Amino acid sequence: MLELYNQIEAAASKITAQWKHTPDVGIILGTGLGGLVDQIEVEAAVDYEDIPHFPRSTAVSHRGRLVCGQLCGLRVIAMEGRVHHYEGYALKQITLPVRVMKHLGAKLLIVSNAVGGMNPYYRPGDIMLIEDHINLMMDNPLIGINDDRLGPRFPDMSQPYNWELIDVALAVARRENVVAHKGVLVAVTGPNLETRAEYRFLKMIGADVVGMSTVPEVIVAAHCDLPTIGFSIITDMCLPDTLKPANVNEIVATANEAEPRLRTLVTGVLEHVAQNG
Amino acid sequence: MLNLPSQISEAADYVRQRWTTTPRVGIILGTGLGNLADHINAELRLDYQAIPHFSQSTALGHKGQLVCGHLSGVPVVTMEGRFHLYEGYSARQITLPVRVMNELGIELLIISNASGGLNPNFNSGDVMVIEDHVNLMNDNPLIGINNDQLGPRFPDMSSPYDPQLVELALSIARRENFMAHPGVYVGLNGPNYETRAEYRFLRGIGDAVGMSTVPEVIVAAHTGLRVLALSTVTNMCYPDAPEKTEGNDIIAIASAVEPRLRSIVSGVLARIDS
Repeated sequence: MLELYNQIEAAASKITAQWKHTPDVGIILGTGLGGLVDQIEVEAAVDYEDIPHFPRSTAVSHRGRLVCGQLCGLRVIAMEGRVHHYEGYALKQITLPVRVMKHLGAKLLIVSNAVGGMNPYYRPGDIMLIEDHINLMMDNPLIGINDDRLGPRFPDMSQPYNWELIDVALAVARRENVVAHKGVLVAVTGPNLETRAEYRFLKMIGADVVGMSTVPEVIVAAHCDLPTIGFSIITDMCLPDTLKPANVNEIVATANEAEPRLRTLVTGVLEHVAQNG
Repeated sequence: MLNLPSQISEAADYVRQRWTTTPRVGIILGTGLGNLADHINAELRLDYQAIPHFSQSTALGHKGQLVCGHLSGVPVVTMEGRFHLYEGYSARQITLPVRVMNELGIELLIISNASGGLNPNFNSGDVMVIEDHVNLMNDNPLIGINNDQLGPRFPDMSSPYDPQLVELALSIARRENFMAHPGVYVGLNGPNYETRAEYRFLRGIGDAVGMSTVPEVIVAAHTGLRVLALSTVTNMCYPDAPEKTEGNDIIAIASAVEPRLRSIVSGVLARIDS
């Protein structure tokens, strides 16, 4: 991990060359959830391929640019499109943008993803505030010699998702009449979807939803002491005893349909942060 | 995954130039089941090392030959010996032969393996017809930029093992009067066998445990192949009454059970058109 420090500085200076402000919030948007970017008063947009050491997005329905500007009275820096482990990137590469956001001065990270619901009380289109996670990816972004300038060798994970902001988001959801839950995300590598036997296993270990992202970014946010809030959109139900073949187009369509509700919660949280610091 | 198509076509061309028949079924023979290959009317045998991009078979009880010919009158291409993650190969290398057999034209992939029984109702020597799996291996053959010509980015896994073939295999076992169970196979890297604590964990999530098959089935699902997978339960894994597991004992039991597996394979081949 000793090479990271220079990579972070190189990437950050490319961004500051085009955008002089200090971001309050970093935002990473998942599958079908990029619409929030349209609400940003854009001051600069930098393609990933122009930022040194940034990985390029190959996933379905992900663009690849960093959007900098204002949202709800805050300076934000948003990744439109993210990269995944299943695309062949190491977790260290995937999470570099989080470290760059921290380096630029962000004090909060907002992440979103599309997930399969395993909790039978969830419905497609519901939103889940990620309360905790289980890492079943086959990699960890912190493997290697630790750079103490970036964070501790053994980061604590007792509260990787900020409880106060989860409550804020749930209060916004009640106020706006949006169905939102609080639950546990299990992250797997993919890219294949899970078998019925695997869904039974994942449910058994305490997970409410399953996805292929977010956990690496949150581990790195915990490492660099960046408070985090995570939103999952349930795009399909994964109930092992009534499992139907997954339809990726339907999943993307459900994400798109739910995206305005996600936006409501995210902007509600941002307004709270803008007022209360 | 972008360089796979050329590897697939080079390997497939190498086979086609020497054997012009289009196989209908691909067979992967696991630990101790190599005898099944002796029942094939072999028209061509190729060492893996001669086939472009194929890995070498290094595992105990695995020969390392591609056998092309007829079994029960059906043209088949058979891997006598397979590759495992514990040999140091990546899941993508291990599964190249599945993509090559698919390219050669197979409609069905039959896989066999040896496994440890987790379900206490099983006995060593029983056959488990794999109904589903749990992937606990540390690799996935589909990682990398997806090649849409080969299959979708996010393959569905709601039914990777053909349910009709599971039923057919179980009915053949009843007719032939031997024990066969449908069950869940848990794939681990190995190469060490599991601890008692691991067996307790695995017993909660599956019926048998082994070190193969899952990568091949994921790739078969990616390419849209039908799959039948048969597991020989070579030893029972009782966490509270453990016995030392010996690789050679496992091979002996797998060989003894081989005629049963063969009867299922011939029975399925006999009905391939029904």
